[in-house]
Amino acid sequence: MAAVVAARHQIDLVECIDWVGVECLNEKSDRTFINVLKQGYRDDNGLQLESDTDEQLLIYIPFNQVVKLHSLIIRAPAEEGPKTVKLFANRQNMGFGNVGDFPPSDVLTLTPEQLQGKPVLLKYVKFQHVRSLTVFIEDNQSGAEETKVQKLAIVGSTVETTNMSELKKVGNS
Amino acid sequence: MVLEATMICIDNSEWMRNGDYAPTRFQAQADAVNLICGAKTQSNPENTVGVLTLAGKGVRVLVTPTSDLGKILSCMHGLDIGGEMNLTSGVQVAQLALKHRQNKHQRQRIVLFAGSPVASDKKTLETIGKKLRKTNIALDIVSFGEEDDNKSEKLDALLSAVISNENSHIVHVPPGQAILSDVLISSSIFTGDGEGGSGFAAAAAAGAAAAAAAAAGGAGGFEFGVDPNLDPELALALRVSMEEERARQEAAAKRAADEASKNQTEGGESSGQGGDVAMMDASPVVPVAAADKGPDFMDEESALLEQALKMSMAESAAAAAAQGAGDVTMGDGMSEDLALALQMSMQEAAAAAAAGGTTTPASSDMSRVLGDQSFVSSVLASLPGVDPNDPSVRDVLASFQQEEEQRKNDAKGKDTEKQG
Repeated sequence: MAAVVAARHQIDLVECIDWVGVECLNEKSDRTFINVLKQGYRDDNGLQLESDTDEQLLIYIPFNQVVKLHSLIIRAPAEEGPKTVKLFANRQNMGFGNVGDFPPSDVLTLTPEQLQGKPVLLKYVKFQHVRSLTVFIEDNQSGAEETKVQKLAIVGSTVETTNMSELKKVGNS
Repeated sequence: MVLEATMICIDNSEWMRNGDYAPTRFQAQADAVNLICGAKTQSNPENTVGVLTLAGKGVRVLVTPTSDLGKILSCMHGLDIGGEMNLTSGVQVAQLALKHRQNKHQRQRIVLFAGSPVASDKKTLETIGKKLRKTNIALDIVSFGEEDDNKSEKLDALLSAVISNENSHIVHVPPGQAILSDVLISSSIFTGDGEGGSGFAAAAAAGAAAAAAAAAGGAGGFEFGVDPNLDPELALALRVSMEEERARQEAAAKRAADEASKNQTEGGESSGQGGDVAMMDASPVVPVAAADKGPDFMDEESALLEQALKMSMAESAAAAAAQGAGDVTMGDGMSEDLALALQMSMQEAAAAAAAGGTTTPASSDMSRVLGDQSFVSSVLASLPGVDPNDPSVRDVLASFQQEEEQRKNDAKGKDTEKQG
């Protein structure tokens, strides 16, 4: 998988996520988005993101620079793994109430095979100038009350811009 | 220090004109809102608070979430009372206001004041509650005023639909019992989230307690006039000592009752004794002894022992009292008596010396000893209850010294006569 990514000059965008702004709605308070997004946590299958009141999940991921998205890597249990996933580029303040109000940038219908960590290609042209990504998991494979996700990695490339957060003051002393 | 965005939903329906919370329901509510706003904005500098009204012409957002306390407080003035509370749309508007908060890192909370009957049915409320929970919004409900129409049941249903991980609370405040804001300040809405129990809440609680104490003449609402949240250790210590004191008093009372019944069975001759024992019970000595010996002191033998102890103590106390009475008279007359005794003995010595003409070795020794003023004063000082500086003692010593000198002069005179 890593070889595929490397061949296409795509990188894992985990470094580009603006962690302070990440928000996940309808997550269980002890099984949060941290478990699927953060390096290390996401590779542990025991650490999962779980939905709380029903099967839907809404994850808002801002980036600290403009990126291009290429594919998603999702790993989840076969039964409770997400099925229909809608992706919105550059939409802020999304909620479950207005998730149907905008046309999604891309809709993924995941198969159990894809949930084992294979990269799922996105409509590359739709994600050329992305500052934030909203992932709306609408339902899961078995129609269960709970949706579980083990890993969510975003693969893409950075647009060559100055990353303001990496600017450092150069002192004389 | 929870970073939070809060929307406060004020009930300004016609029901708020009722005066069962002083001064009116609406004013009491306004005070409580001010208190909550202060607590929220001070627990974290980045916290924001917004206010909306539930009744009137419709749900109206007075202030969107802001950290400017002045803005929040000023919007509370000149609010119109009217119409019916629209809880469902109010909560949803609050949810929208929270969704568009500036800082996504803030957790979301709605504080709902519900003083009028709840019109919506339970099912609708549960749906709304689930929606709130789905969007990670916590809900605090202050239920006051009207109690009919299954209101509390409905609100409990709403809360239980929202609650996840103990983040939401409900407080029912019955009318007339206490000031609304005072009840809230010691409630879980202020102290609930552990770290949410901010310094401000504690300070405000102390302030409110002080104010309440000033107003109600020291009632304060707290058990010992100390807010247990403010100083838990002090509160614990107070409670423990209170319990110990109570146990001690109970034991003493029980023992006194036992003694009384025992003395009654013993007959008339011990009636005086019973009086003594009762008297001793009133004194501080016996309760201390009882506390030392513990509560399981009630078997007969030890009870007898106890009685004997008391009697002996009564006797000793009587003796001490007699002695004390003696002491009192002696205290006045002691130095005079002593002076008299000293004087007498010295007079004897002096008389012997005078009668003998020439001093006998013993009496001369005595007079020499007594003549040594520093020695005498040190002896007097070492005697208990004697003040060497007492004027009467001094007089005696002075007079003795004068005699001694006179005697010496006489002897000298005799010597010179012999020589001459």
